[in-house]
Amino acid sequence: MNYQAPVRTTLLEVRNLRTEFQTPKGIVRAVDGVSFTIERGERVAVVGESGSGKSAMAMSILRLLSHPGRVAGGEVLLDGRDLSKLSERQLNAVRGRLVGTVFQDPMSSLDPVMRISRQMIEPIMRNLRLTQQEARAEAVKWLGKVGIPEPERRIEAFPFEMSGGMRQRVMIAMALSCQPQLVIADEPTTALDVTMQAQIVEVLKNLTAEAGAAMMFITHDLGLVARFAHKVAVMYAGRIVEFGRVEDIFARPQHPYTQSLLGTIPSTSMLKTDRLPQIPGMPPDMRFPVTGCAFKERCAAAHERCFAEAPLLSDRGPEHEAACWLPHGLDETADFAATRTTRPNQPFEPDGSVVVEVNALWKQFKTSRKVVVRAVNGVNLRVHKGETLGIVGESGCGKSTVARLLLGLEKPTSGDIFIAGLAQMVFQDPAASFNPKMTIGDIIAEPLVVKARGGKAERLETVRQLISQVGLDPAFAERYPHQLSGGQRQRIAVARALALNPSVVVADEPTSALDVSVRAQIINLLVDLKQELGISFVFISHDLLTVRYISDRIAVMYLGEVVEYGAAEEVFADPRHPYTRALIDAVPVPDPAIEGRRTVAPLQGDLPSPLDLPVGCAFASRCPMATDRCRMEKPVLPNHELSRQVACHYAH
Amino acid sequence: MADITLSPIPARQRRFQSLFTAVIGHRFLGHRKVQLALIILVPILLLTILAPVLPIQKPLETNLRAMMQFPSIEHVFGTDKMGRDIFSRTLAGVEVSLMVGLSVAAIALLFGMVLGTLAGFYGGWVDRIIMTVVDIFLAFPSLLLAIGLVSVMGTGIVPVILAISLADVPRFIRLQRSQVLSLRSRAFIDAARTIDASQYWLMSRHIVPNTLAPMLVAASITAANAILVEASLSFLGLGIMPPQPSLGNIVRDGQTYLEQAWWISTLPGAVILLIAIGLHFLSDGVRELLDPRSR
Repeated sequence: MNYQAPVRTTLLEVRNLRTEFQTPKGIVRAVDGVSFTIERGERVAVVGESGSGKSAMAMSILRLLSHPGRVAGGEVLLDGRDLSKLSERQLNAVRGRLVGTVFQDPMSSLDPVMRISRQMIEPIMRNLRLTQQEARAEAVKWLGKVGIPEPERRIEAFPFEMSGGMRQRVMIAMALSCQPQLVIADEPTTALDVTMQAQIVEVLKNLTAEAGAAMMFITHDLGLVARFAHKVAVMYAGRIVEFGRVEDIFARPQHPYTQSLLGTIPSTSMLKTDRLPQIPGMPPDMRFPVTGCAFKERCAAAHERCFAEAPLLSDRGPEHEAACWLPHGLDETADFAATRTTRPNQPFEPDGSVVVEVNALWKQFKTSRKVVVRAVNGVNLRVHKGETLGIVGESGCGKSTVARLLLGLEKPTSGDIFIAGLAQMVFQDPAASFNPKMTIGDIIAEPLVVKARGGKAERLETVRQLISQVGLDPAFAERYPHQLSGGQRQRIAVARALALNPSVVVADEPTSALDVSVRAQIINLLVDLKQELGISFVFISHDLLTVRYISDRIAVMYLGEVVEYGAAEEVFADPRHPYTRALIDAVPVPDPAIEGRRTVAPLQGDLPSPLDLPVGCAFASRCPMATDRCRMEKPVLPNHELSRQVACHYAH
Repeated sequence: MADITLSPIPARQRRFQSLFTAVIGHRFLGHRKVQLALIILVPILLLTILAPVLPIQKPLETNLRAMMQFPSIEHVFGTDKMGRDIFSRTLAGVEVSLMVGLSVAAIALLFGMVLGTLAGFYGGWVDRIIMTVVDIFLAFPSLLLAIGLVSVMGTGIVPVILAISLADVPRFIRLQRSQVLSLRSRAFIDAARTIDASQYWLMSRHIVPNTLAPMLVAASITAANAILVEASLSFLGLGIMPPQPSLGNIVRDGQTYLEQAWWISTLPGAVILLIAIGLHFLSDGVRELLDPRSR
């Protein structure tokens, strides 16, 4: 391809795009008049919460919407050609040839019964008019470029023979192999771990730049945006509320939504006594028409005009637009101050008593007579009263198994667990952790009923207290789970966990199923409760920024072992295990200036299989500093009485 | 720290919902297929209940002066070779049919729920024993199984009900077991286990209520099917024995006279058809109402 430096001409122009979903309860205006342009070779990030219409917008561009959705109006010009006027047949030539797509779930976007070769070679032959052999060579080349080891052999693999990260690489190779001018990536890393996410983002960034393709990257993760986007479009309730260069968006956000969103991310410099700035409420229900600005109910600076008229995008500087009546959005001192609150200074003093003690915990699952999954391999943990222990690690590291063991949902293969008092749990997915046929009141009261605590009237009173303790109206007791939003459900989950006055609450990824703007509310709630009630928390997450903010101590797990343990601040400021360092490096920081200076060298490869653990250090296969000693001799975590422990031969 | 304001709760979200509304919802009577089903079934049901007080000849009463009469105002469905009123016999037959249909549905529901829940929840040898028996029964076509059982147990309404149930119960056990298996791994079961809820509590509070809806759909299909099977058995001379009328044996009686008196067979046959169609509409409607995607 005769590619030169990016020419500043428009590649994609979207004008007043509108998309509707016909539902039994009325028309949902998922995309409500969106206009923007993408230049050749430019990477544009579209940021928004679930329901903001970002995916529907991307799908509308290629008219990939399925039944209840339809494009209601607007123009999509790709290279000057109006895609909305093309027939389905002509459009098929555009999809794949001119526009490549990468979707969120790598598990379902490849055909499970076809070899990779068949899924890749045919489109290349058709689109680039190559022979079978040439197309195959091209496919192998791309698989190599996205970092699939032994591409000549792996091209004959079936999707199920590959890990999630591998499949996402295959998707990227497929999207890029036909040399498209535009790549649309819809949350391509959301289903993946941090280290894998860092790898995939690097691959996408480098290869689109190399091929000169433009990219539209849809995400809810502002950190990722800072890492690689040129421009950012912030979507809220079906509209773009702010659009501009990445530096401008992060340094001088002009729309209150963008400003608040950036504030909700725990920053590394933040004091733990500060509450996370949170956005009150939740996004509007798109089934009902919105009069005025869609963000007005959650905006600290909303005034009369916002209720009457919706602001349109207006210029805020070079290539920077925002849709707000105020010239600069929220005022740093007046409006913003309201969302920044500080906790009362430690009303609860930890007395150093141990609430949870785990000694030499092992857990193995037998999947069949011969296959044994070694999920937890000799873990020692200690949680003091009123303290939060954060457990981090990639999926498959055994952190969720530790949680289930702590709660007695699984029996340990060997080892002891002592809990002074009672352990309760907050689950990851608030949609699945409630019985849909029970009212919220019954759900919260269930532990009391099972344990026969109190009479009926007393229980009712406790339920009402618990609901208001988590910041909701006691009238919620009468509702059913499906009538609540994700954030409200997670509050109820916390209320239920508190019903029996537990000494420790285990929270397994309690915020990962929530929207960014709601996440801060739940984190604040958990930290407030910890201080008010002196409860200990075990907080399990892959979101390192949150873990850092919420935890007093951190245990980093890798393949069923704790590889590093210490005070949260110390571990983050001075990670000693190479794995911890890699994890922290992989986390994108929501600041394009920092991201620009960073050289990200993501951790290579996949987690070894827990079916067949290495003899030496479990991390040796991916460790940049591994030596023969690491491969032969297993480093052990020193005496667990120490406040800082690292399992590495070469940790200083 | 209450920072969330609440809109007033809709008045219809009352705390104590009957089982019916909890499972089916409030839109039951507004659903078109349900309405259609009710338009067919309610008149049949009313006539059957009112049969004893209607000014018609009793089902077993013969009138040799009015044999094989064409339908008229006096004999709406005409009369048979012994001058019995076919309309009256049909209504008596419907009573038998409904009794068979409902009993079979109830028996299949009860045994299916209990055994399916146990098999799915406990797994292991409990599951293996129950499912082995189920698989053996499922290997026979249900009508053949029923014919075999009736020929062993004898004729009459109770053997017919038992025979048809025995053929349907295994299917219910399978359905219930598969539902329980998928529910068993849901997070709310884990949530209840973390508070040391008993196994009885888990099953009665969390598992069974969530399996009810599809089981009710299956039960209404089974009721329709059981009515057809009873008719088939009686038609073959294996079910309800004359002189007691049943839709199947009325049709069988008339078969011989099809050329001289077509109404003896066809009109009760049409009633069988109507009941089956009505029940199928009902189950279809219930299924659509329960499908979350239709909401």
